[in-house]
Amino acid sequence: MSLHPVIVGGGPAGMAAAIELARHGVHCTLLEEAPRLGGVVYRGPLRDGVQLDYLGPRYAKALAKLHGDFQDRRALIDVCLNTRVVGAEGTRALVMLDADERAQEITYSQLLLAAGCHERSVPFPGWTLPGVMLLGGLQLQIKSGVVKPQSPVVIVGTGPLLPLVACQLHASGVTVAGVFEACAFGKIAKESLALLNKPQLFLDGMSMLAYLKLHGIAMRYGWGVVETQGEDELRSVTVAPYTRSWQPDLSRAEQVVAQTLAVGYGFIPRTQLSQQMGLEHGFSDDGYLRAAANDWQQSSEPHVHLAGDMGGIRGGEAAMLSGQIAAVSMLVQRDVLTAEEALHLRERYLAKLKSVVRFRAAVDRYTERGAGQTALPAADTVICRCENATRADIDRALSQGVQDMASLKMRTRVSMGDCQGRMCVGYCSDRLREATGRQDVGWLRPRFPIEPIPFSAFQNFGTDAFNHE
Amino acid sequence: MSKFYDVVIAGGGVIGASCAYQLSKRRNLKVALIDAKRPGNATRASAGGLWAIGESVGLGCGVIFFRMMSANRKREAQGAAVAVESSTPHILPDSFFEFALQSNAMYPDLHRELQENHGMDFKFEKTGLKFVIYDDEDRLYAEHIVACIPHFADQVRWLDQAALRKAEPSVSHEARGALEFLCDHQVSPFRLADAYTEGARQNGVDIFFNTNVTEVLRQESRVVGVQTAEAGEFRCDTLINAGGAWAAELSEWATGTRIPVNPVKGQILLTERMPKILRGCLTTSDCYVAQKDNGEILIGSTTEDKGFDVTTTYPEINGLVQGAIRCIPELEHINLKRCWAGLRPGSPDELPILGPMKGIQGYLNACGHFRTGILTSAITGVLLDKLVNDEALPLDITPFLADRFDVQKPAMVNLAEMA
Repeated sequence: MSLHPVIVGGGPAGMAAAIELARHGVHCTLLEEAPRLGGVVYRGPLRDGVQLDYLGPRYAKALAKLHGDFQDRRALIDVCLNTRVVGAEGTRALVMLDADERAQEITYSQLLLAAGCHERSVPFPGWTLPGVMLLGGLQLQIKSGVVKPQSPVVIVGTGPLLPLVACQLHASGVTVAGVFEACAFGKIAKESLALLNKPQLFLDGMSMLAYLKLHGIAMRYGWGVVETQGEDELRSVTVAPYTRSWQPDLSRAEQVVAQTLAVGYGFIPRTQLSQQMGLEHGFSDDGYLRAAANDWQQSSEPHVHLAGDMGGIRGGEAAMLSGQIAAVSMLVQRDVLTAEEALHLRERYLAKLKSVVRFRAAVDRYTERGAGQTALPAADTVICRCENATRADIDRALSQGVQDMASLKMRTRVSMGDCQGRMCVGYCSDRLREATGRQDVGWLRPRFPIEPIPFSAFQNFGTDAFNHE
Repeated sequence: MSKFYDVVIAGGGVIGASCAYQLSKRRNLKVALIDAKRPGNATRASAGGLWAIGESVGLGCGVIFFRMMSANRKREAQGAAVAVESSTPHILPDSFFEFALQSNAMYPDLHRELQENHGMDFKFEKTGLKFVIYDDEDRLYAEHIVACIPHFADQVRWLDQAALRKAEPSVSHEARGALEFLCDHQVSPFRLADAYTEGARQNGVDIFFNTNVTEVLRQESRVVGVQTAEAGEFRCDTLINAGGAWAAELSEWATGTRIPVNPVKGQILLTERMPKILRGCLTTSDCYVAQKDNGEILIGSTTEDKGFDVTTTYPEINGLVQGAIRCIPELEHINLKRCWAGLRPGSPDELPILGPMKGIQGYLNACGHFRTGILTSAITGVLLDKLVNDEALPLDITPFLADRFDVQKPAMVNLAEMA
């Protein structure tokens, strides 16, 4: 038996794991849905030869290092780009859709799930208007060097991504009309000490704020989105001061003219695959579902590993470290490393990870979501975009005694569309928690296929299992 | 602290909800509906066909069930895989026809009633069900069906190739014609259950979601209540077992006798939303195909004896995919959106298990509805309401009593042995 390890996700976690495996002479297969490796953080420009100076020298260096290290080990890594994993067969095989849209099975000895996260959608009146985007998606646009958003841009949300994207946008020639951080300045200041766990990141943060100030871009703390205006496209955004629990104070609301609104209220792990495999999950303090992993990044099935944001949102650097630890665990399972060697390596990575975790915990504390935001949608605001279910539909179901996610789905059709609830699960579970007072209101069990696939994909299914030995 | 009710219904699927709704209309009984959704509950997994004749003559899910059984029987007899004998359709007894057709006839009024009185629309659509004929074997099968049901001649229509193409232009040109059952229609299954539930709630039924029954309370030969894990003790005069695929366990707790209800797994596929390409529901010898009210096309279903397993499996999904493409070639270019599996509450003779059991008071069965729970939920609710209130029944339930099975004999036929 000579099956390779398989890695799902070619972002920093998956790439770092592949490099670590290759460094020890172990061949692996890396599946990536995008046409390029690097994930959302390190994908780099879409076209070769494009210089993206506005992203900063430190970013360019990190990008070059990750891709350079990967190239050095490329001989031992089978990369499948444009390949989407659409299902699992227990914990021994995956079903993937290759670049030609054919469904194929792929078996593995060890598996690393490094599928990352997706953005948390926050519904408010007008959030479906063209011109309203999620912050990470908008950043990906400028990182790929292909398109720029229409000016002026307003940024609302919480966390360190806000000033970063504001700086990148401005440096790339976009007009930023304002940045509205939901949490109060005092709350961030209180975390300064903890944030100094990553001095460079802290300094970067400081210099970003200085940059914004220098260029006259207002960064307002304790402010958030209320609604947008516009007919067929975005015209303006209403923002207002948020209370501690993120309730907008409408008496002080202001309208800001904008053609683009970037909304960044955090991320949710992508657990569709880990759930389908039946791995153990738990809830984060923030209320999102995440797959459980031990110190070796092993899931409840020891040969299935997790790395990166799938197990909780911690960013690109932590993703690489957790990917490396997962690789070390696989190397022990394959008898390439002794337990002692592995422990030694893991301690090195864990030491680095610790400061990231402390930094991240501080960020989590100040970006903690306020419950008041669930009050933003009006009765006719669409919550589930696939099925057109509105806030009134959800209110009615709750008043009729619906208490869990699965029943809410049946009663209102939320999450029964193409995205299987990726967009609306955050809002719906918040509302259910609010209504029932319970932390666990269930989650959506993703079905095969995780993304829609054409019937024709099955043409030769089962006759030509993917061979990667 | 105990809660006191006239009737406690254990199980909030379409059957339990229909019982709750019918009982609630009297407004003189205190009723509790207790439910805990488990993976695979059949109401949510169902296709929602009201195929009264189709299912009674072994089409819909039935054709696949029948073919599987006859293939297995032959395999057993001859020790090898052989072509499936399909010239003798699997036709249920007259008692079932009456039960299914009486229930079917109730839907137009129920639809109006639940919409007008309770604001709940379960998407009743008059569709007909066409058995698509590809070859001589299919034609023989269809002819045999028609010969077996002469009394329903007015509900049956033959379509030749030209008529089928006109009626259903998307159906494969390989098809030679179809046999249509005019009275077979469809609903949205989970909306039907929700409509009954919400109607019952508005009429004063207490509903306990996410509540698991852990024990049945008895005083000698009388059932007096249930214990739950989440909501304490419920005392009642009558306990209705509407436990779906899980009904056997509850019957054992209540009566000491395990009624023969076993989970029968079915896998189903759903497409993305499509413009309306089908006028009615279709059944072939591979699968059935139904376009629902919102444009999604539902393709079912397998019949598997896998206990309570509800995983979806790729060979079976692929089988349904190929069967669907054969019937509607243009499906090849559209997307599969979701698959799931449900657990039909199967009984050995495919008939439901209704009413009292010998030697036990305060307990009624409303289970074993196998592949027709959505269709027969309406009449089941009416029957159980009349049983609770000791009134004359609209049909004879003797064929559906649990006592028809010789439950003492351990050698009783179960699905595993049949398959």
